[in-house]
Amino acid sequence: MSHSLKRTGTILSFLLPSFIGFIIFVLLPMIMAFGLSFTNYSGGPNFRFIGMKNYVVAFTNPEFLKYLWVTFKFMTVTVVFQIGLGLAFALILARDFRGCSFFRGALYLPNILSSVAVGLAFMFIFEPTSGFMNQFLISVGLPTSKWLAGSKSALSVIITIAIWQNFGYYMVLFIGGLQNISMTLYEAAGIDGANKWKQFVHVTLPGLSPMLFYGVTIAVIRGFQVFDYIYIMTGGQQGGGPAGSTNVLAFDIYLNAFTYFRFGYASAESVVLMIIILAMTFLQSHGQKKWVSYDIV
Amino acid sequence: MTSYRRKQRIEKIARYVVLAIVVFITLFPLVIVLSSSFKNESELFDFPFKFIPAKPITDNFTRLKENFPLYIWNSVKLTFVIVIVQLFTAATGAYVFTKLHWKGRDFIFGLYIASMMIPMQAVMIPQFLIIRSINLYDTHMSLVLLGAFTAFGTFLIKQFFMSIPDTYCEAARIDGAKEWTIFSTLMLPMSKAVLVTQIIFSFRYFWNDFFTPLIYITTPQLKTLPLGMTDFVREQYVYWGPQMAAALISIVPVLLIFLFGQKYFVQGVASSGIKG
Repeated sequence: MSHSLKRTGTILSFLLPSFIGFIIFVLLPMIMAFGLSFTNYSGGPNFRFIGMKNYVVAFTNPEFLKYLWVTFKFMTVTVVFQIGLGLAFALILARDFRGCSFFRGALYLPNILSSVAVGLAFMFIFEPTSGFMNQFLISVGLPTSKWLAGSKSALSVIITIAIWQNFGYYMVLFIGGLQNISMTLYEAAGIDGANKWKQFVHVTLPGLSPMLFYGVTIAVIRGFQVFDYIYIMTGGQQGGGPAGSTNVLAFDIYLNAFTYFRFGYASAESVVLMIIILAMTFLQSHGQKKWVSYDIV
Repeated sequence: MTSYRRKQRIEKIARYVVLAIVVFITLFPLVIVLSSSFKNESELFDFPFKFIPAKPITDNFTRLKENFPLYIWNSVKLTFVIVIVQLFTAATGAYVFTKLHWKGRDFIFGLYIASMMIPMQAVMIPQFLIIRSINLYDTHMSLVLLGAFTAFGTFLIKQFFMSIPDTYCEAARIDGAKEWTIFSTLMLPMSKAVLVTQIIFSFRYFWNDFFTPLIYITTPQLKTLPLGMTDFVREQYVYWGPQMAAALISIVPVLLIFLFGQKYFVQGVASSGIKG
């Protein structure tokens, strides 16, 4: 008995350092978020249960639906370009050649920088009156833009910056995947008379598919959570861009919670965000059976 | 044959041209930050862009000397503490999920992994209420506690521990070694590479983290560097020079670590994609 107690003690001594943090700052908050979303809690002592009202208010509010739409737009475009560019440059850089590690490093570099530094740099470049970008456009005779200050252009600028900063991450991920594909498969395909394109479709893509699946999943999750760029580049505490054009869901949750102290409503929004992300992840892992092969490598 | 060779040559040149253009695009904003940090306000928006300022100045940095030494110190201190704490929780977690056998082990690890999908926004409000209720709002301690658990780090180190054969541990156990002894004198020394990867990843994360300090820190003396850098954004007039200088200061440490430890970054990214 004392032996097994000691054993339990040992196991707990290894488990608790991470488990306590997990319980208090992940599991408990998740349950609390659900609970709060059914209340009108605003930080004070008086609050009550209001059923589904927060959710009804959200989904009947055209503003909220607009934020959802902006979030989807941001997510879709960034996922397509980050994965597409990541894959393209992974294909170019997967095999070793002179200077390849310099190019890999240079393309991955933006990913390690802080979103604040990146945001500040691009605010400077896209400064609407005499910034570098507009002066460049004038010098080649093209019309200028208000960039981050324009309600039509702000979101596109932020999307571009997000792609600029993140495609290198997916490139590194895919280079790892490509290097795991056995060369003998290409040789075998070559002997069977498969040309470059056929080799790509029948060897490269299936071999890379687990990594592609992982990359898309991560990119979708991150796309839905974009916040830093929006806060830093389009208006801070009160922001959300010109005419709310860059107000994504994560930003609206932040505003409602920490500027207006509508904790109940913000929790309902955060539950919606969580459900969307989980549903997307579930759909993808369901759909992966059709296109991801784990047996080829 | 010669036409094949020529085609290959053209392909090679095209590849370098495309890469050079893209490298230019990825690095140009950094060059602008570097160069603008040393430019006079009147020279900042000069076009065409000059890499070397006509009259290089250091005023932009001296204008930061009031607040930024403290912001930098706060960031250094906090990043250091959180990196150590994460290393401890991740390594002990990795050990308990690989080298010890107990009921419910895989279930709990599954929960850890699933938590990586939970968006930060879904837990941030209750986290805030919990921190506030234990009177840690607007303290550095709140950031340490919130950073203590890392599902990614636990997963990363666990992947590596799994590759170390159990027989090492068994042999040590037969010799009467305690689990903590096995962990600290056998497993950790064998895992240096992955521990360095973990350190680099948590360093980068907390050195750059903007969101958590934004929510939890209001006292100016407690601000971290990324939070302090946005001081300039809220004012009516933007002081571009000092702002670029501040951005440069925040970039340099990560850049140095990247230059010397590129392979650890690559390992961290690559092993995060391994099915486990």
